[in-house]
Amino acid sequence: MRATEGSTTASGERLFVTKVRPLLAEKCLPCHGADPTELKSGFDLTTRESALRGGESEAAAIVPGKPEESPLYQAVRWDGLEMPPKENDRLTPEQIELLRQWIAAGAPWAEEQDRLDKKDARSTEGDWSAEDGVTVETSGGLTAEWTNRRYPPDGIWAFQPIRRPDVPHSAIDATRIQNLIDAFIQAQLAKGGVKRLASPADDRTFIRRATFDLHGLPPTPAEIAKFLADRRPGARARLIERLLADPHYGEQQARHWLDVVRYADTSGFSNDIERPNAWRYRDYVVRSFNADKPYDRFVTEQLAGDELDPNDSEMLIAVGFLRMGPWEHTAMTVAAITRQQFLDDVTHHVGVSLLAQGLRCASCHDHKFDPVPTRDYYRMQAIFAPVQFAEHRVPFLATENARNFAEARRLVESRIEQLERLRRPLHEESDAAKVAYLRERGVDKLKDLPADQRPEGGNFGREFGLNQTEQSLVKIYEKSSQYLARELQRFEPRALSLYSGTDNRYGSLEPVYKVPANRNGEIATVSILAGGSLESPLERVTPGLLSAMVGANDVRGPTAWNTVPNTIDGRRLALANWIASPNNTLTARVIVNRVWQQHFGKGIVATSNNFGLMGARPTHPELLDWLATWFIEHGWSVKRLHRLIMNSATYQQSADHADREQLDAIDSANSLLAYFPPRRLAAEELRDSMLAISGELNDEIGGPGVFPEINWEVALQPRHIMGSVAPAYVPSGTPHERNRRTLYVFRYRTLSDPLLEVFNRPGCDISCERRDETTVTPQVFALFNSEFAHRRSLAFAAGLIDEYSKFNEQIEAAFLRTYGRPPTIAEVDDCREHYNRMLAHHREHVPQPVALPTRVERGMIEEFTGEMVRWQEELPLDHYERDLMPWDVDPEVRALAEVCLVLLNSNEFLYVR
Amino acid sequence: MTEPFHLPRRDFLYSLGATLGTVAFNALLQAEEATAPAAGPLSPKPQHHAAKARSCIYLFMEGGPSHIDTFDPKPKLAELHMKEFRRDNKFQSAMSGGKRYYVNSPFRFRQVGKSGMWMCENFEHLADVADHLCVYKGCQVDSVDHPTACYQMNTGKRFGGDPAIGAWSTYGLGTLNQNLPAFVVLPEGAFPQGGAANWSNGFLPAYYQGTPLRPGGSPILDLNPPAHVSREVQRANLDMLATLNEADRQRHPHHADLAARMEAYELAFHMQTEVPDVVDLNREDARTLAMYGIGQPETDSFGRRCLLARKLVESGVRFVQVFEGGWDSHDYLARAHSARFRCIDQPIAALITDLRDRGLLDETLVIWGGEFGRSPDNGVRGGGQNVAGRDHNAKAMAIWMAGGGVRAGHVVGATDETGAEAVEVVHHVKDFHCTILHVLGLNDNKLTYFHEGRYKQLSQTGGAVITELLA
Repeated sequence: MRATEGSTTASGERLFVTKVRPLLAEKCLPCHGADPTELKSGFDLTTRESALRGGESEAAAIVPGKPEESPLYQAVRWDGLEMPPKENDRLTPEQIELLRQWIAAGAPWAEEQDRLDKKDARSTEGDWSAEDGVTVETSGGLTAEWTNRRYPPDGIWAFQPIRRPDVPHSAIDATRIQNLIDAFIQAQLAKGGVKRLASPADDRTFIRRATFDLHGLPPTPAEIAKFLADRRPGARARLIERLLADPHYGEQQARHWLDVVRYADTSGFSNDIERPNAWRYRDYVVRSFNADKPYDRFVTEQLAGDELDPNDSEMLIAVGFLRMGPWEHTAMTVAAITRQQFLDDVTHHVGVSLLAQGLRCASCHDHKFDPVPTRDYYRMQAIFAPVQFAEHRVPFLATENARNFAEARRLVESRIEQLERLRRPLHEESDAAKVAYLRERGVDKLKDLPADQRPEGGNFGREFGLNQTEQSLVKIYEKSSQYLARELQRFEPRALSLYSGTDNRYGSLEPVYKVPANRNGEIATVSILAGGSLESPLERVTPGLLSAMVGANDVRGPTAWNTVPNTIDGRRLALANWIASPNNTLTARVIVNRVWQQHFGKGIVATSNNFGLMGARPTHPELLDWLATWFIEHGWSVKRLHRLIMNSATYQQSADHADREQLDAIDSANSLLAYFPPRRLAAEELRDSMLAISGELNDEIGGPGVFPEINWEVALQPRHIMGSVAPAYVPSGTPHERNRRTLYVFRYRTLSDPLLEVFNRPGCDISCERRDETTVTPQVFALFNSEFAHRRSLAFAAGLIDEYSKFNEQIEAAFLRTYGRPPTIAEVDDCREHYNRMLAHHREHVPQPVALPTRVERGMIEEFTGEMVRWQEELPLDHYERDLMPWDVDPEVRALAEVCLVLLNSNEFLYVR
Repeated sequence: MTEPFHLPRRDFLYSLGATLGTVAFNALLQAEEATAPAAGPLSPKPQHHAAKARSCIYLFMEGGPSHIDTFDPKPKLAELHMKEFRRDNKFQSAMSGGKRYYVNSPFRFRQVGKSGMWMCENFEHLADVADHLCVYKGCQVDSVDHPTACYQMNTGKRFGGDPAIGAWSTYGLGTLNQNLPAFVVLPEGAFPQGGAANWSNGFLPAYYQGTPLRPGGSPILDLNPPAHVSREVQRANLDMLATLNEADRQRHPHHADLAARMEAYELAFHMQTEVPDVVDLNREDARTLAMYGIGQPETDSFGRRCLLARKLVESGVRFVQVFEGGWDSHDYLARAHSARFRCIDQPIAALITDLRDRGLLDETLVIWGGEFGRSPDNGVRGGGQNVAGRDHNAKAMAIWMAGGGVRAGHVVGATDETGAEAVEVVHHVKDFHCTILHVLGLNDNKLTYFHEGRYKQLSQTGGAVITELLA
């Protein structure tokens, strides 16, 4: 009897130590123990005594030996009480069963030391199964519980060293192995029960796919003809080389990278003021990809370019990466808080973009899922403690586009002058009122008057003598002038950059942050902040890195690789050397996965910003590691990686598969890549392609943001900036300037081109790991009804008629440009029938010219009076060169434009297969 | 010229969703199959628990209306008026440190309704519906600047990028009219500080984003083609498009997105005629227009939006948010706040009365409030007695709720003797958010979405329902 009881207790204790205690720690202790001053319902689960005692209800929570009578057990089953309260935290049936067994075993409670002894004994005990999980050594959590917790091995895969796997040999069709990628893919397909491969994509499909993937544009009919005419072996490889060597390659790569870094030309929040020099970082990214800068170097420059070489302009531009987040400091914000906001943003952002680790969770507590203690978070944050903002004076490089500055500057200046003209009479009126006031009282100066005869406040103030509306207008004009003055900084040779130094006492909305003469001194210290709150600092930390990362060579302990100096300079360089290293188990995997995603729509790890426990698991872990090692060995070259992927049979296969019904049953998500996953054009690809097809695209590279015509209602929508309204959005003056690639369109955080927005261009506040691809009706309005779509169709038609005299030729060219293939005979007939019908209509209906808006009615509620102030804003469109408009052309052009509009709305155009 | 094509309707319903679905579509489905519609992202979903309110009208007073001058009188301030004190610490903005002066309220108060709740005299009409209001004085937020406080009040998070309450609500409940946006925003003209991020879908799918209906022009962007394009031409183009798309679909029969996109074009075509009717105020009778103050210069703008909010809710829109700014009275409190009162007083009273008379108040939650309250003092903007205003205050504010599920005719919570800080029934805004969801039949802990490695929720990390506010 005793013996039996003893053994029950022993196994119950083991259950407690290995399973129950970690379960309580994860699911219950955050509210019932972690903070003794904030116990929910007064229930404390940290000791057996308090656990048995129960909470405010004063009933025992656990009745040892009697699970059914234990409120704790009832609560976790959501029987009466519902604990944990959050649906997604609910215990699994297995976990509930564990608790039942443990209570049935008498709810034994091993004390801390006992528990640790047992943990140490585990390796010798030999009967611990893998499902108990593994511990991970870190710098240590806030509780021993967290420090010693266990992780499912597959949940911390990304912290395991990258090892080159053996290449599998179980191919479905060995003749279709063009490179080793195919060996890995075929092995998984075979394992998944797939019997045969999709056939190779035909040449027309392939050139369209490859060109969209690398350039974000459709191939031209001439490019298609040349490719089809190349009958020698290796034509596809040569096509890929041509595409990689073209500067459009860098633009398309930049678009993907800027999604990750949340690029914008403005700061967000209440004023959304311009970052006038941000465009130089955007162009730096384009240059870097075009030059095929090794990725490890690219990362290092963005993290610590200024430390690498403070005299190299390119390096000072590159660190703009660290300032990409939304950030604003005004008179209404608190400096300590906005500073912390920057530090939190940059810490999290470096984790997400380069390491696929969302670190923000660890700003308030040890990470709930991943082996990232809050100490590591603040150690990483301490790396950025010396970072101060600066708009360094950095001469323009020969490779930067500083063309056309004079004209662009003149437009901004003319708006400022116009505001000046509007303000002048108001100032004159006020001055006259002041003179009159003094004259009435027979004095020359205000100070000659006794205090009680002066205006309220003792002086005139700037708006003396003006009525309330006039006072509001003075303010509105002044704010608009300030706003526009900032735009002039675009053309100055400055960089959105930073330096290392002591706290730069930044004021609000400074146009330019400068480097002080002396940047040396005491660097702000960083402490662990309880709950992420500045008001609750715990212990101080020194700069450091993710302590769970052992490194590829499996060496633990401080090395030159994972040590950050506690000096002013050199912290970020140490971070860069740690990240951009073959030793780092995350970096190469993360970028290889991002590039893979560009080609297959989904990464090998579907959550490309999260390689943690809550992220997706790799569908092809061996392939991912093989690619990562290959990438490192081939000099971190992104172009080589594209070349490798695009020359694989996997990439070159068709989007259709003969056994599609069976495949859908096996792998409905196509994770195995049994066929090429088709994708919809991204927002920018859609706009750029329409301009390219219509013959209007200006494919100039680089330079400050441009302003295309967007929906006028959105353009003229007043945007609130503190106490006033921002000046109206005004499109660039010529079609040539407006029809630049979308990458170069000025990117506001609070004003979005609806065409791009409805086609899933993400906002720029949080990093976008992958574009959504929704199908919603507003997309129809944007593509079928918008001015943009109608103008492109009209230019498209006018160009076709200019170039070709016969209808058949016009339609053939239209199909080639839009779909990359000639039309069928039936399609030509359908188009002709439609054209004739439309021609009859357009001959009967002549469109009336519609004028551009030249002035807009503005209104806002004035905070000084609580009343609506209305005024007119003149739009500087006097020299505006309009697009081709329907009243400029013959009915034949308008009729053909209807056919073109239909083509640009069709699925064959919108999807890449 | 072409046969209408037939599609497997159920298959593409999910991918269709849209900010705007269609009544026509549901009608089609019912007529053809007489079965329950399949689940799309915006089709109605059951509440987590039984709750009366089915929809919500949130009157958002951007800028921070003063609780001290509306629902929370502080006689103590008469004694302290223009007395100086200092407040300095590093957690204050440049504007809120240093020398400050207490400011007495320029408004007079009286008790109204059966409960005898205090209300500023300038609310002449609102007093008549006081028995429907549940005034709450215990809410606190974390931010003292507008955009981050607006983001927190609307999304739970201070720094933007999270879904708004309206987005969460429609994610949880779907919407009742597939032909209208599920979540409609009625801005005053200028967008509020922080812009569209105040009604963002955040990390939720785009279906749940708030749709701003503009005071002029087309209610939905590009709802109609350019002026010279006739409906006849549109129809012909649609038929031509269907021909091309159908041929393409037959070549790629397994690509489900193709069918969804084809159907979206037909839906859009129907919506062009149906949507404008719902937003047309000309169909309302003169008495209704007058009741909302439409036609009167001060009340016209806000009155129109209140009436539109009622019409939208009546038509099955799940969540309507009306933005009204101008409350940031750092100076000229008396003048600026009284002008604001005149703009909103009659329209709000009309809205509540109208909802009640139509039997809609029981199933609608009405919320009034700003992003924070105001301070008992003038901050550091200085100025004499006549120009005095109030600074921002994250620690105290006044909010009221009315309608289904709310404890009507009550005042809950209280602030200290100067109105500087809430001291009774004090809750962080996350609890207020849980309460809103609760009244709409949603449980914040169940209304979660997996993003960036965790299940996120409106309250950010969980909160509690403020039971004192419930009927």
